[in-house]
Amino acid sequence: MIVPFAGRSGGTGPLTWGQLAIWDAIERTAPDDHYFNFGRVLKVPGVRSLDETTAALAALLGTHDSLRTRLDLPADGGLPRQRLEEGGKLPVLLSTDDPEELLTRLCSTRFDYEDEWPLRVALVTDGPRVTHVVLVFCHLAADGLGADVAVRDLRMLLLRGAAAGRPAAASPLDLARWQAGPEGRRVARRAAAVWEAVPHQVMFDRDVPEADRADRPRVWRAQLSSPALGLAARAVAARHHTSTSTVLLTATAALVNRCTGKDRSVVLPIVHNRFRQDTARMVSMVSQEGVFVLDGADRGLDDLLAAAGSASLRAYRSAFHDPLDRARGDWVQPLCCFNDQRFAEPGPAPRTPREIRAALPATTLSWPLSQDRLNCRFCVHVGGDLEVSLTADTHFLPRRRMERFLLDLESLLVAEAGA
Amino acid sequence: MTRDEITQRLAELVAEASDGDIPAERARDAGVPLSVLGLTSLSRMRLIDAVESEFGVELDLGERDWTMLDDLGALADHLEHR
Repeated sequence: MIVPFAGRSGGTGPLTWGQLAIWDAIERTAPDDHYFNFGRVLKVPGVRSLDETTAALAALLGTHDSLRTRLDLPADGGLPRQRLEEGGKLPVLLSTDDPEELLTRLCSTRFDYEDEWPLRVALVTDGPRVTHVVLVFCHLAADGLGADVAVRDLRMLLLRGAAAGRPAAASPLDLARWQAGPEGRRVARRAAAVWEAVPHQVMFDRDVPEADRADRPRVWRAQLSSPALGLAARAVAARHHTSTSTVLLTATAALVNRCTGKDRSVVLPIVHNRFRQDTARMVSMVSQEGVFVLDGADRGLDDLLAAAGSASLRAYRSAFHDPLDRARGDWVQPLCCFNDQRFAEPGPAPRTPREIRAALPATTLSWPLSQDRLNCRFCVHVGGDLEVSLTADTHFLPRRRMERFLLDLESLLVAEAGA
Repeated sequence: MTRDEITQRLAELVAEASDGDIPAERARDAGVPLSVLGLTSLSRMRLIDAVESEFGVELDLGERDWTMLDDLGALADHLEHR
């Protein structure tokens, strides 16, 4: 079916920093750029009809400019611009299939960035009522936190009707204008200073022998599901008065150092950049890579965590940067990134060694993804209920060493927690 | 601003940055580092942004300055003598 929607305004403008950064990653990963698609399933609260659900959906698109924004791609290969439409018509799939299966299906093909709306929607029906809304986002329109804002708003619209829509946060066009203005340039210069202090280094720069390379495709993902790792990370975070995210990033940097034998570990954490009032509630792609540097990464984890506090702050500051500055300045590109995708991080919590040891047998490892191209060589993702995955280019890190890396991460943290 | 006024204002900014998780009185009077009070990295970045824009300073985020950024009293001293 087709759902018409209308917002307050339209217009065109340059891309925001976050849009530029993801566009660069998309271009480097194409034609496998469906890799960046992601989504959410919303269980519809109460009993809602098709009309009520599509009205809420239309209000959502009317509120958040990002969901009505597509790209203009210049024929000469120059920089894309963003084009906000005042209104339009969204094709929506009606289905009785399993919502998670629909999510996977809608994620599996790349977006048409110029012509397709950046949101794909399926409504799962049971007779006259809609039970689930499946939303798949183009990464140009939202990051994980942006998608969560959209899902929360849609839920409120379904609960309280279209009038419940909150006033929109800043739009991507507003943000692009601010970023190009004097205050944005000041912030960009501060971020640039952090990047410019980091010497060039590629972390995984040695080709592995032919015999060790995976069969095609060359990019694989290993995924570790480890309750013990989760408990250990919380225990270590509690001891060091820090977050599990910092603990995992620091442990990753330490193990990258162990794998590569380099003096300095340079890892690019994906930072949500929602520290500021104007970006906190935006449905948009605001996340960007920051630069996290640990010198002497062969020190013990205890020592490294003491240094990680200020290293993380510099990484956060570096993340809200202008990708055009980055390209012009030829900043460090270690091809090694870390992405904590958890919406709510379980806080630090003391855990007994016994409790952690008891959880070890529940650890499992799987290989959920493989493809030909990716814009990075080594990507650690943290998600769900502490699942850690490593997606790597097997020409630089063979599959057996990927598996080893994840198990070493578990061992390192379990040992650090005293278990 | 006197040092006490600066400390009071910093404590209020901690409360705002932490969405009230760390009340201003606790930030001012606890006498322990902000990380021990549970200031998260998100809140810490909000706090740094707020301090920089309100006091018109740029804080160095180097390893040497970490202790200062974790200690309200030391931060107040720094702002008083800038």
